[in-house]
Amino acid sequence: MEVNWPDWLDFDWLDLSWLELPWIDTNWFHDNWYGLLLLGFFWGVVVFTMVGALTAVYVYVERKVSARIQGRLGPMETGPHGLLQTLVDVVKLAVKEDVRPAAADALAFRLAPLLVVVPAIMAFVVVPFGVPMVIRDLNVGILYFLAVPSVTGVGLLLAGWASYDNYSFLGGLRASAQFISYEIPRTLAVVTVVMLAGSLSSARLIEAQADTTWFVLLLPLSFVIYVVTTLAEVNRVPFDIPEAESELVAGFHTEYSGFRWSLFFLGEYASLTTASAFAVALFFGGGLGPFLPPVVWFVLKTAVIIFFAVVLRFTLPRFRQDQLMALAWKYFLPLSLVNLLLAGLVMKAVF
Amino acid sequence: MLDSDVQIALFAVFGGIAVLAALAAVLTRYLMRSIVAFGAFLTAIAGQFYLLAADFVALIQIFVYVGGVVVLILFALMLSAVGQKHPLAVSEHRGLGAVVAYAVGGWLVWAAFGADLPEAGEVPGETVAFLGRAFLDQQLVAFEVIGIILLAAVVAALVIVRGERL
Amino acid sequence: MTLVLVFSGLLFAIGTYGVLTRRNAITLLISVEILMNAANLNFVAFSRLWEPELMTGQVFALVGISIAACEAAVGLALILAIFRRFGTTDVGRIDFLRG
Repeated sequence: MEVNWPDWLDFDWLDLSWLELPWIDTNWFHDNWYGLLLLGFFWGVVVFTMVGALTAVYVYVERKVSARIQGRLGPMETGPHGLLQTLVDVVKLAVKEDVRPAAADALAFRLAPLLVVVPAIMAFVVVPFGVPMVIRDLNVGILYFLAVPSVTGVGLLLAGWASYDNYSFLGGLRASAQFISYEIPRTLAVVTVVMLAGSLSSARLIEAQADTTWFVLLLPLSFVIYVVTTLAEVNRVPFDIPEAESELVAGFHTEYSGFRWSLFFLGEYASLTTASAFAVALFFGGGLGPFLPPVVWFVLKTAVIIFFAVVLRFTLPRFRQDQLMALAWKYFLPLSLVNLLLAGLVMKAVF
Repeated sequence: MLDSDVQIALFAVFGGIAVLAALAAVLTRYLMRSIVAFGAFLTAIAGQFYLLAADFVALIQIFVYVGGVVVLILFALMLSAVGQKHPLAVSEHRGLGAVVAYAVGGWLVWAAFGADLPEAGEVPGETVAFLGRAFLDQQLVAFEVIGIILLAAVVAALVIVRGERL
Repeated sequence: MTLVLVFSGLLFAIGTYGVLTRRNAITLLISVEILMNAANLNFVAFSRLWEPELMTGQVFALVGISIAACEAAVGLALILAIFRRFGTTDVGRIDFLRG
């Protein structure tokens, strides 16, 4: 096949030369396919570790904040102020017995948690941490961020179906109906940002905000739609009806336990972390800010958004299922279309 | 830097996955496995699109097909065949189907080897920009037609499913 | 290039077999989608051969994906309607005339 491959297909991005390790010949990795495989594996481990660490921090913060809101102390026993509690929980979950219902479909039952967790972690690849710093700057980065996590919907349905249990079944149906309903206004909200940035690359997104201003100032409505629909997509309170304990036991993961259950848990928190980080990139200028290095600014802004999400969780009551769907189709869809029009006007005014 | 051998190999790997998954989707007698295999098939095809310098199309494939169509099919399965665990009935035309499929496949592969193809041209790096220009310039009609068809499909699906209550 | 054509030919053959032999409406739909994907693969591949900067093939693949989505939506609505009426999704057992 005699073809000219475009630049972004030549695997240069797997470069390790910036590490400047004198005892490793970095060219070796690029010369053969197993070197490339090793490099890909390396970056996979890096991303997975980052997501895992962030999730652990997130869980700790959530426990502490919720305890504060409810007038409790939260975890205090393990480590100073319970700092190690999450770590201990991870170990506990990992060594727990893995129970699979006898009637469950083995293949689908095993596949479902992976389909939930892997896309959430993969989406992390295009998050721009610094001003130019992205693990992989695709020229369709923002679309990647929207497209890859959409696979989660399949995982939720599969989990509900494979468990062979009425609660799981209903939870799975609800979860993925909610997921695809809110995906539409969410995508339309992100499209307005893409219009202003003039590119689908996440690095270009930050540059465009450096040229003008934070997009949240130009598109406040988009930001509101993005936040609400994201909370709905990752099944967070007030939109956590698929997992509502009081009516569905635990929704689609009722039958899951131990390690597989923790994968669902990880997937939910990972996608919330990624979505918060991307919200910072989309609306708050990513790592842009004075004095401090970009990465610090980025982490600070993300922390604020995550704190906001945690506080929301413990202050708002739950929606009802029909209200939830009505909200998506009757209010958010038209609203996001109007917002698209507004974004066009803003574009005309600003540029 | 790599020459394109690795990419050809990757393309063949994705192709192999696609063929195996398609075979599984068509041959298995359990509906659920068929749908899961179909999802794997679509993902492999998306990988092939990516290697053919169509990154935008690849992601749209994942977005629309894996995130949309597969979920829809699963929904239809769950609403129509709840609790159905026994294998599906097999058609009586399997022999005929195999013959026709063999003929079609053989003919297409033969045509592929016999084809006189031009050299591949230079691919634009920024596919998105070029696609956008194409959609609003030369292919505007196609763009509008997609819009109309999508609207018609939404209305049609609603009418079919709950016509009596509209 | 030949490689692409061979793969899409194989996929098309598999899809054809599925369309001809499956009797369940949902698997029929899946087979049709396999056919469309084989065609899309060719569109994208040929997009690189003739005037790649015009992106005609990729545009057509995108149109094809949209059509496939529409087809899935309407097709699944039909399948649900049929299931409600006949209690089966087996196309061989849907017979209006026999009552």
